[in-house]
Amino acid sequence: MKKLIGCLAIAGLAAGAAFAASGEADYQAGMKALATKDYSNALGKLESALSAEPDNIRFGSEYRQAVIQAKEYDRSIKFFEKLTADNQNASSAFLNYGFAYVDKIPASGAITQVILANTALSFFTKSIEIKPSWIALYTRGNSYLYWPKVFGRAHLGVADLERAMAIQKADGAKKGYHSRAFVSLGDGYWKMENIEKAKAIWKEGLSLFPDNPGLKARLSKDGDDLKAYIDDVLDPNKRVDTNLIEIWTN
Amino acid sequence: MIGALILAPLGVWAWNGGLSKIRYQEVGEKSGVRVTHHTRRFNGKSADVLRMFTSGGAAVAVGDYDNDGLDDVFVTDSDKGKLNHLFHNDGNFNFTDVAAKAGVAEGNDPLSIVADALWFDYDNDGKQDLLIGRFGTPILYHNEGDGKFKPVDPKVSGLNKFGNTISAVAFDYDNDGYLDLMFGNYFKPENLLDLKTPHVLPNDLDNAINGGGVTLWRNNGGMSFTEVTEKAGFGKHTGWTLDIGHGDLNNDGLQDVYLACDYGTDRIYFNNGNGTFRDATEAAIGIDTKKGMNTDIADYDNDGLLDIYVTNITDEYMKECNMLWHNNGDGTFTDLSKETGTCATLWGWAAKFGDFDNDGWQDIFVVNGLRSASKDNYIPVLVNMITTPGIDFTDVRNWPNIGEMTWSGYQKKKLFRNLGTQAFKEISAEAGVDNDLDGRGLGVGDFDNDGRLDIFQTNADQPMLLYRSQTEGAGNWVQLKLTGAFGSGAGKSNRDAIGARVTLKTSSGQTLIREVEGGNGYSGQSSKRLHFGIGQAAKIESAEVRWPSGKVEKISVPVNRISLVTEGQGLKK
Repeated sequence: MKKLIGCLAIAGLAAGAAFAASGEADYQAGMKALATKDYSNALGKLESALSAEPDNIRFGSEYRQAVIQAKEYDRSIKFFEKLTADNQNASSAFLNYGFAYVDKIPASGAITQVILANTALSFFTKSIEIKPSWIALYTRGNSYLYWPKVFGRAHLGVADLERAMAIQKADGAKKGYHSRAFVSLGDGYWKMENIEKAKAIWKEGLSLFPDNPGLKARLSKDGDDLKAYIDDVLDPNKRVDTNLIEIWTN
Repeated sequence: MIGALILAPLGVWAWNGGLSKIRYQEVGEKSGVRVTHHTRRFNGKSADVLRMFTSGGAAVAVGDYDNDGLDDVFVTDSDKGKLNHLFHNDGNFNFTDVAAKAGVAEGNDPLSIVADALWFDYDNDGKQDLLIGRFGTPILYHNEGDGKFKPVDPKVSGLNKFGNTISAVAFDYDNDGYLDLMFGNYFKPENLLDLKTPHVLPNDLDNAINGGGVTLWRNNGGMSFTEVTEKAGFGKHTGWTLDIGHGDLNNDGLQDVYLACDYGTDRIYFNNGNGTFRDATEAAIGIDTKKGMNTDIADYDNDGLLDIYVTNITDEYMKECNMLWHNNGDGTFTDLSKETGTCATLWGWAAKFGDFDNDGWQDIFVVNGLRSASKDNYIPVLVNMITTPGIDFTDVRNWPNIGEMTWSGYQKKKLFRNLGTQAFKEISAEAGVDNDLDGRGLGVGDFDNDGRLDIFQTNADQPMLLYRSQTEGAGNWVQLKLTGAFGSGAGKSNRDAIGARVTLKTSSGQTLIREVEGGNGYSGQSSKRLHFGIGQAAKIESAEVRWPSGKVEKISVPVNRISLVTEGQGLKK
């Protein structure tokens, strides 16, 4: 009996340790605190969850959404700085680190926005170096498109987005978020003034995702109307939705 | 003298309502004002960067220095040894440069850069004196009344403090009858021509706090000035001030102040009426990170409250948007630039309100453009520096030379016609003012006394432009030259009547307000003569002057005439 109890206790401890190591309990506690707008507790718990699972893309994404609500952008940047320093092979941590800079952009002045955007790119690059995933390539490629033409970065975005497109085509399984690559790759070609190619990609995307409003809108416009639409979409003063929920729900 | 004023057109104009066409003809060459401005060239390794950072000193000041009823024009130059210009208005759009003869041509000495100019009557003797704002110490010229000016010894005037002054306004902040001075200073008070430290540039490009702030100088009875910056409540402002606007923003009879600041937040100060001001920025307009360049103040929607227009940078690479601060009447303002269509003017500099078609609604003219040079673009080069981790922006040695590169150059000017419905329409091309020079300052006045506003545009390192109004079918108008009665026993308002507010009610039902101002708008002082477009109204139902002394006077105002109004005496017959 003692032995059984001992075994159970050990098993229980092991399970508890595994639970703690997985970070799930802290994640759940953090999300619960967030629901009540207890930001201090929420951020603390979510940071604990991430410390336990640095490469968990979901934890990182949810943490940043909490940070946006709490407007604690510098806290998030500082946290990811340490997390990535301690976990240099955590591709998703670097991805979320880059996004932490993107999240701060709308709350910053025009020139600070440039600095933040450029810094974000460096962490997206690090994420790709560790693991050239669809999400990392799509993210960096799409980020390049926010840079005005004068900086000549659209071709870099197109290169990344072509790689993301190749990954999703090789994957075979159609996922909802794959529509994003069609939208952005078309935008990239549009920014490079290859309108024909842009429209071909948007059309291809629409054939696979016939209800996608972004693709429909682009294909229904031309000339200045299309420019105004894409300029509005890529306006750096507007908050970019950096919630990665589609990655784990699709 | 007065004759010229009375000779203004007498007939009531045929007004075409919304059909009037704002038109301008550029007549700078023909009029004799086609001079070229030169930015200061520096020596040493940082010469190129410092020249770029100080390329804002092309200024114009409109004022009638000889009291002949025609507004004259003072224009600055900035390079070492280059001379300023005083264009005497000979009538019929002919001007003669009399700066040397008048003794006001100089100021660009080896350690000072001329950057702004201001007409004001500091000693209430009825003659326009001249202040030259410099990256250095200012120069105050006393108008001797014989076409000549005499520099006032800084030891006597008290204006002997070094500052990198880019803007100056004159107003009577304490309503004692004497015009005080406020200087907007860009850099902190380091002499850029004799650099002791390389750390002179902004410490942050969106939230800088190491600029020159402002200084406020109280006029001691027309004899000298004493600095009261700290005492008045401006000591904590350390932003990169580019422009100052003053006006009674809360209708309490006191002059308030708006500061447009580069690299960070603008500031608004309300006058407490006891010689001090309170910083109301956070509650009134909020903290911003924009590159404020210009402040002009007017009631653009005719609701009896003064509004504020500020230019910022809205270019391909930076989307700040201008600010049209609509006065809510409760001490707060709401930016309606996007809603009204006045948001995007590229790299904005000066902007001026003016009713250019006399329809009773104040339009806005904006100049823009930093540096037009080769096809190579400076922006990618600059961004490489800006995005270098850990870079110290304050160090002038870290900034890349611009050489022959272009930076926000070749930009078309913007003329916004006020449609009277909280909306403006951009009409610069059809109005003939869509030049692409590197604009800086604007001076607005009616140089030929025909009842239509003309425009003088200064440009950095480029020739000046003079736009003569050719607007057809413009509305009826009223112009008032106000004179305060200081010293006459009838009141104590400054002779220039700066701060006086006139309210007109027209026979078509509009109520219009104007205030006499002392230098609002970047690098440009407009005429102190008040101009009202009144559209189809054939007469003024009522007119009231609220003088800086507090005295309120009802006057009878004729239409399509320039009228002289003296405090306590009504219209001059």
